[in-house]
Amino acid sequence: MSEINKDIVQKQTQPEALQPEALQPEALQPEALQPEALQPAQFGYWKSLAQWNQDSEFQKAAAQEFQSSPLREEELTEEDRDGGWARREFLKLMGASLAMASTACIRRPVQKIVPYNKAVEEITFGLPNYYTSSYFDGAESLGLLVKTREGRPIKIDGNPKHPLNGGASSTRAQGSILSLYDPERLHGPRKISSGTAVETTWAEADASIVAQLQKGGVVVLTGALNSPATTALVKEFTQGFKAKHVQYEALSSEEIREGQKASYGDEAVPFYHFEKAKIIVSVDADFLGTWLAPTAFTRQFAAGRKDPATMNKLVSFDSNYSLTGANADIRVKIKPSQQVDVVMGLAHEIVVKKGASKFAAQSSVKSALAAFAETPTKLGISHELFSRLAEDLWKHKGQSLIVAGGLVTQTEAAKDLQVAVNFLNSVLENDGATVDGRSGFSGLKASTKAIFELIEEMKKGSVKTLVIHGVNPNYTLPSAAGFREAVKNVGMIISSSDRVDETGTVSSYVLPDNHPMESWGDAEIIDGVYTIQQPTIRPMYDTRSFQLSLMTWAKIAKVGGKRISSSDSYYDYVQAIWKDEIYSQVAKAAAKGTNKAAGFESFWDQALQTGVVDLGKQTKSSPARTFKLDALNSVKAKSASGLELVLYPTVNLGDGRFANISWLQELPDPVSKICWDNFAAVSLATAEKLQLKEKTLVELVIGGRSVKIPLYIQPGLHNDVVTVAIGYGRTAAGKIANNVGVNAFDFAKIEKGALIASGLIVELKPTQEAYKLACVAGNATMEGRKIVAEATLTEYLKEKGANNHRHKTFSIWSGHQYNGNKWGMAVDLNSCTGCSACMIACQAENNIPVVGKKYVLQGREMHWMRVDRYYVGNPENAEAVFQPVMCQQCDNAPCETVCPVLATVHSSEGLNDMTYNRCVGTRYCSNNCPYKVRRFNWFNFTGPVEKPLNLQYNPDVTVRPRGVMEKCTFCVHRIKAARNQSRLENRELKEGDIQTACEQVCPAKAIIFGDLNDPESRVAKIFKEEPRAYGLLEEFNAAPAVRYLTKIRNNDQEKRFPGTEGASHNKGGHA
Amino acid sequence: MHLRQNSTGRWRSLQGRSDVVSRVRAWMMIVGICTTTLFLSGCKWQFGWGYNQGYAPEQPLPFNHELHVGLHKIQCLYCHNQAERSPNASIPALSTCMNCHLLVKAESPFIQKLREASDKGESIPWVKVHMLPDHVKFSHSAHLAKGVNCEVCHGQVEKMIVLKQDSDLSMGWCINCHREPKYNAPLNCSTCHH
Repeated sequence: MSEINKDIVQKQTQPEALQPEALQPEALQPEALQPEALQPAQFGYWKSLAQWNQDSEFQKAAAQEFQSSPLREEELTEEDRDGGWARREFLKLMGASLAMASTACIRRPVQKIVPYNKAVEEITFGLPNYYTSSYFDGAESLGLLVKTREGRPIKIDGNPKHPLNGGASSTRAQGSILSLYDPERLHGPRKISSGTAVETTWAEADASIVAQLQKGGVVVLTGALNSPATTALVKEFTQGFKAKHVQYEALSSEEIREGQKASYGDEAVPFYHFEKAKIIVSVDADFLGTWLAPTAFTRQFAAGRKDPATMNKLVSFDSNYSLTGANADIRVKIKPSQQVDVVMGLAHEIVVKKGASKFAAQSSVKSALAAFAETPTKLGISHELFSRLAEDLWKHKGQSLIVAGGLVTQTEAAKDLQVAVNFLNSVLENDGATVDGRSGFSGLKASTKAIFELIEEMKKGSVKTLVIHGVNPNYTLPSAAGFREAVKNVGMIISSSDRVDETGTVSSYVLPDNHPMESWGDAEIIDGVYTIQQPTIRPMYDTRSFQLSLMTWAKIAKVGGKRISSSDSYYDYVQAIWKDEIYSQVAKAAAKGTNKAAGFESFWDQALQTGVVDLGKQTKSSPARTFKLDALNSVKAKSASGLELVLYPTVNLGDGRFANISWLQELPDPVSKICWDNFAAVSLATAEKLQLKEKTLVELVIGGRSVKIPLYIQPGLHNDVVTVAIGYGRTAAGKIANNVGVNAFDFAKIEKGALIASGLIVELKPTQEAYKLACVAGNATMEGRKIVAEATLTEYLKEKGANNHRHKTFSIWSGHQYNGNKWGMAVDLNSCTGCSACMIACQAENNIPVVGKKYVLQGREMHWMRVDRYYVGNPENAEAVFQPVMCQQCDNAPCETVCPVLATVHSSEGLNDMTYNRCVGTRYCSNNCPYKVRRFNWFNFTGPVEKPLNLQYNPDVTVRPRGVMEKCTFCVHRIKAARNQSRLENRELKEGDIQTACEQVCPAKAIIFGDLNDPESRVAKIFKEEPRAYGLLEEFNAAPAVRYLTKIRNNDQEKRFPGTEGASHNKGGHA
Repeated sequence: MHLRQNSTGRWRSLQGRSDVVSRVRAWMMIVGICTTTLFLSGCKWQFGWGYNQGYAPEQPLPFNHELHVGLHKIQCLYCHNQAERSPNASIPALSTCMNCHLLVKAESPFIQKLREASDKGESIPWVKVHMLPDHVKFSHSAHLAKGVNCEVCHGQVEKMIVLKQDSDLSMGWCINCHREPKYNAPLNCSTCHH
């Protein structure tokens, strides 16, 4: 029998090839985790609870290939029936346009070319320019490389030379470009009189403001300042006007600083080295999503997982289902009141039970830890797991890391938790190794306590003028803080926001600040790492930077120091600071060596070119600090009962300052996959107990008030927890953000001058009001097939290709010949954290429209790239897996064979080319695509884009109209640009010349793109040699050009799916 | 009539009418079908309608390529210098014109107009001659790097007093070159459409 015939016979006799037994239900979870009441789902992996329950509605939806059809009657809303597109109307218009086309095509309209008056030296028409710059959103700071075309910035990327974020950037940094082109930015200064904004001039505003400033009682309220120049300027200004400076952020790191001060004496947010840690324990610190510097941390974390054999282990104790929890090897659900117990419990295991560490002999330590002996029982987890974790930590002392922090830890015991974390890090000798306490995020000095003091002063009437920059206290403070009442006692409030936002409405003047991309500036990202913020476009409107405003007022009033009077612009000021403070250090260091330092001019130019000045403070080893044992005295065990509220920032919106960016609103939350809303999430058991139903609003009762909010049942949540995202519910942000969701900042409580955002006891009551959340997890399910593959580390060490069964396929034709390049991609599921930065990068690069909540509900979102999230296990302890899915560029592409007009055809380089102008919109290709990666423009989403948002469009990518299919192109325009460049340089394309947008932005370096015909390329090696690599639905023989690498769980378990040996998959249709 | 013999129903009812009327109707129908077929059957049949071949619009200043290129032998790339580096060849900035015209022919009324615009910081709104649809991405630099001369597409510009579009710039015209083995040019859709 020939080889092929054998295969056929084997295929026929092995029908279970499509139903891998490794994913059979009984094999899902260890029995201990299976509560009796819950019946396991039919599939190992599931996307939503509806699927897990085998909900009849879900089954009906899953049987439909697409979520909605224009012809399906039940999908139509009243609006569609009345004002939507009727078929007949469409045909009428078609007829009309045909008639018009046949008469008008003879001569096209006259177009004009208006050349430059003077040739611009740096601009080559048609080619991009890149400028280094920096980004800061109050917590995270990034070094950027901004792509501009013909003088307008069109894309933000990370600066590859930057030591922290490299070429990666966050979703919000990517999205911040849209805030530059936001149509609702103010075009000039405004005076607010009785609630309405009236146009005014800068001169007029300056005159009345200076007169007011001279009366004294001035307070400058800013966000966290990590800019050396702005810090110095504000200092000079406040000295000049005898004013006070207050730094406030809604998401401050105050508790970390307080904890550091109590534990070690120095008040600074330390820097963390996740890449040096072999085991990481995170207690509600979402360091992969929202905490401190997630992009840099993701980069470090992923670096520790590149080689699975030596990979790190992440254990997450999670009150919210955070991105970090979703990536944990072992995730333990807790509630906020148990945070301190977790850390102290671990310390008890190590110091008291094991008698390890230098603290073991100290009786005061023992007595402080005694109360935490029964932590595992309290957490409801096995003692064995807990002591194994402690064992692991001690084994890796100096190479482990405990972190806690963020809004989720803002309980009454926020500082105690930090002290406990510091203690445990000191016990494990991590301080000085993985925790760098001496050089960290020195710019994060914002404090919530300070603003409460300020409000008290405002109430007393001692504040006459309040200058506000970069913060929006009227939105981010709970109404209990009394900000709105206090402003009535302030003579003049000046807001420098770019729009009349919530704070602007209670101000006297709104003096629009330049967008960071229109203004000079600088940043000290961590100690000794400096970046210049370089403008990439002239101010689009009559705006003025906040810093220049301060300088102008100081000059008019003839106050302030020498630097203000000697600088004409803020640019001069930044340069002066850099010369005095940064260049002097560089020159001093150079003087010690043999090299003579270059002059300041060339230093500045070089700093602009590389985008970063690194004084190397991080590389010097920082000695361990002495932990002050007294600090432990206040750390007490707590017990609480009742539903605890958890407020958390999301990956897309953060504290809500970017809420008016449509990309970010439509980006689904990485874990819940819901966009355009926030919601109250509870566990399944709690929902059943309180009779709460999804698709309805519930009443959240907190401190005597009640708010209606949609309910979402989140698998893997603690039964005593309700989580609500902040950043929503803006009222004066703009058309996009206004009244989307509920303002959860308002739920926070103020106690003893501190903000409590977590652990507040709340009640939930059902209502009958229906409400739909737009969730993109939809009905695309795995249906028992191998879409994601996982193995435990133990399995991997035994066999590198564990749980990754191969399929032998055959084809009746010889296949395409690729003589030049053949493009391919590899996605490492073990590195991917699901952060979704790739989705926004793709959207920015490829002019992908936003469709709005209504159409997301109908499954019409346009993202070319999606990040699927699957849950594994039962809803009580669901683990999550992320999988980015883009067009798989199949060699035997099912889409190509069904296109009646040859709009999608195979290229000689293995791409499935999509020719928009040939597409007639039959959608056959989308029907036939097994990966469901094609997107159809149901409406003219791109046409009515409000100006000047159109300036962001990438001119290298066609803007697609209605009725056209579109999909990922592997950034074919970048391939073309790189090839043109290589031709100009008279060389062959080489590895690294082409980066797709998703690859470029990925902080985890999970996406690799390259030439499969180049045997030395990384992708070719993965395709050929990597035992973890597999293609999606290999058995269909679509021959995709994307390989996924199995995810490895470092969770101490023998088997990912105990009970199955995977034996049947080593024979039959599998190779 | 042929049509009448083969037809049913409606046509049969016409038999009573005069032969002239039905003949006119038949011709009208044939002409109609032909016209529709012409419109629907692709651009090649439209005798170049829709393409601007030969388009030579009047420009705001009568720039003479024959004079500059033909007589004075100024290289194309002196003015269109970005063509080698960029997808766009670009119309030169006014400062490029003024490199010579500060002195050369400074008294000419047209040059004075140019000079005026240049001094005022204004520009000249030239009328675009070569227009490609927005969904076509063409790269000058890629073609120049392959050794394709300007005149292959733009014709004998050195003989054009008023610049005109020499080729029809249709897709078929592009493909004809790309298909020639000697050029070894790519024929993928994504070569031009992305």
